[in-house]
Amino acid sequence: MQNPNATVQPSSAWSQIRTIYRYELRGALRERTIVINSILIPIFLYPLIMWAGFTGVMFIQGHSDSTKSRIAVLNVPREHPGLRARFERDRRINIVRDASATPDQIQRGNLDAIVEFVSPEAERAALPGNFTAKITFNGSKDRSNSARQRVEGAIERYRRDWVAREGRKLGISDAEWAGFKMTSRNLASEKQMGGFVLGMLIPVLFVVMVAAGCFYPAIDCTAGERERNTWETLMSSAAKRVHIVVAKYLYVTTLGGLAGALNLVAFALTLKPMFAPLLAQAGVTFNFAVPPAAIPLLILAAVLLAGFVAAGMMIFASFARTFKEGQAMIMPFYLLVMLPPIVLQSPGIQFTTTLALIPVVNVAMMVRSVVTGIYPWVQIGITIAVSLAMIALCVRLAAFILRFEDVMAGAYNGSIKQFFRERLFGKAKSSGGIQT
Amino acid sequence: METTVRVENLKKIYFEEGRGEVRAVDGISFSCQPGEIFGLLGANGAGKTTTLRVLATILQPTSGTAALMGHDTVREPEWVRRSLGFYSASTALYPRLTARETLEFFARINGYPTQRVKARVDHLIARFGISEYADARVDRLSQGMKQKVSIARTVVHDPPVVIFDEPTVGLDVLNAIEMQKVIAEFRTEGKTILFSTHIMSEAERLCDRIAIVHRGKIHASDTLPALRSASGKHYLEDIFVHFVERANAGSLPLLEVP
Repeated sequence: MQNPNATVQPSSAWSQIRTIYRYELRGALRERTIVINSILIPIFLYPLIMWAGFTGVMFIQGHSDSTKSRIAVLNVPREHPGLRARFERDRRINIVRDASATPDQIQRGNLDAIVEFVSPEAERAALPGNFTAKITFNGSKDRSNSARQRVEGAIERYRRDWVAREGRKLGISDAEWAGFKMTSRNLASEKQMGGFVLGMLIPVLFVVMVAAGCFYPAIDCTAGERERNTWETLMSSAAKRVHIVVAKYLYVTTLGGLAGALNLVAFALTLKPMFAPLLAQAGVTFNFAVPPAAIPLLILAAVLLAGFVAAGMMIFASFARTFKEGQAMIMPFYLLVMLPPIVLQSPGIQFTTTLALIPVVNVAMMVRSVVTGIYPWVQIGITIAVSLAMIALCVRLAAFILRFEDVMAGAYNGSIKQFFRERLFGKAKSSGGIQT
Repeated sequence: METTVRVENLKKIYFEEGRGEVRAVDGISFSCQPGEIFGLLGANGAGKTTTLRVLATILQPTSGTAALMGHDTVREPEWVRRSLGFYSASTALYPRLTARETLEFFARINGYPTQRVKARVDHLIARFGISEYADARVDRLSQGMKQKVSIARTVVHDPPVVIFDEPTVGLDVLNAIEMQKVIAEFRTEGKTILFSTHIMSEAERLCDRIAIVHRGKIHASDTLPALRSASGKHYLEDIFVHFVERANAGSLPLLEVP
């Protein structure tokens, strides 16, 4: 066919897609909400949250350690005068010298625990001096719980020393009365331990970040355009509708993938300096280095997940006429996407072939697996195939939805469920459902 | 003379909840030539915008045909849109792009030759006097500035047919006059202008031919002198009322019987 207008030329599909994609991206990078959600939050938020979280934990722990437990000690057995001395030596315990201490005082918060030594009358074989330590506390109060632990610890240490001392009096060595003892050896290297921790943390945050990265761009380029009245400007241009959909889809995928990738990088860079000192205090050393072989697979995971989430979000956002409507329509899908990785936090779950067939779950499991240095290629292959199939399906669906002129023009009034029932699985009810 | 726009028995019927079947456009036919301003004059809801949106391929006709530069709006929508500039209240500008970026973007996606885009954009920036704010973001421009950029956006790919759907709605008097001047200039360049309005003075001043649209139908279509002679009225307002009343009288038994 000849174009009678000599100045205008047919442009290739790729040229149209590239032009729209480039300008969408340029506009988005000037929008504060998108920059914050897709770039800044993935880089700074989680490291910041973790830093704040650990600082908070350390502060609370320090505060808790410095808080003395107020304990009433009643009826210390005559045979064990050292018990009271043991409590008195413990700097974390403050013995309240009140013989009339009652549980009411614990309930009111004036006292943290009462430890009362009673004779074990029920036990016929009880020897003189044997006792039962009865600890009264309030499990709903941190301070009372902590008092119970401190009292238990002090009594247990006293018991161990007492048994050893009495044993020596009877000529029994420590080794004889102890009978046996347990030791353990962790075969995992520091690197493997680091991988294990990363595997627990990264998939959840990764999925959350990719979804958050797609969220605003998906609404912005569909419902947002309708709200700003730019949708029709674009639709009345010479670009093919399908090219517009593909360009917008690629743009949302780019920002979602970018958010995921940036989050992974930020994580990898900040985990070590943040965790290492904390874990060193606990006598554990971890190496948080991500295996180099995992990096291409992590990038692929970001692209696959972003591709699926972007397509899913665009399907829902296509029906919205305003930004607010778009948020309300996408939110259920957003929450649905975030649910599986949270469930997968359980360390016992394996990356099986069945899990590899479930969208989002498969990518989360793939990420978890590769950061620990394990590469189950069959499951990875299935994950890639399933994700690509889902992406193709969702993009086709999004293009199908936007072929209906009432949806395209933002004039569709029915529900999403009704749309699919009538137009995908049944007959279009109205002429408003004309496909363009 | 060459026909640039041809519309034949165009109908757009849709179903609306609560209203049932709505015949927004009910058998409209007209044609236009280069260098002509063809005005669709009608009250709100008469069917002007729907007709123009069908021509812009945003809506599909229920029946009938519409063609621009020989391209059918249903079969060759991309070719139609390449030959067309569409300006309406619902074709706003991208707020985050600058005026220059906006023009470049629309020149490119409308298929304007890549190597000539820059020159074309520079030319339009000079022509519409927007060089001072060409590199400012659109959302920071005043209403008048946006209007100029929007007109430049509409014709950036130099289309032979331009649609202006109620272009002066919401504009102050000076900007409305400016808009009318620009539309008249496009006519002298040989473009076909399709122009919809409900403002009589605008139609009277600008249009070479006027179609009076009421309830989805064209009830009269001709030059202003011919409409005067057919109606026996002088002012366009009276001419419009004459034809609308005649149309209503035709449907009186259905609509207004107590």
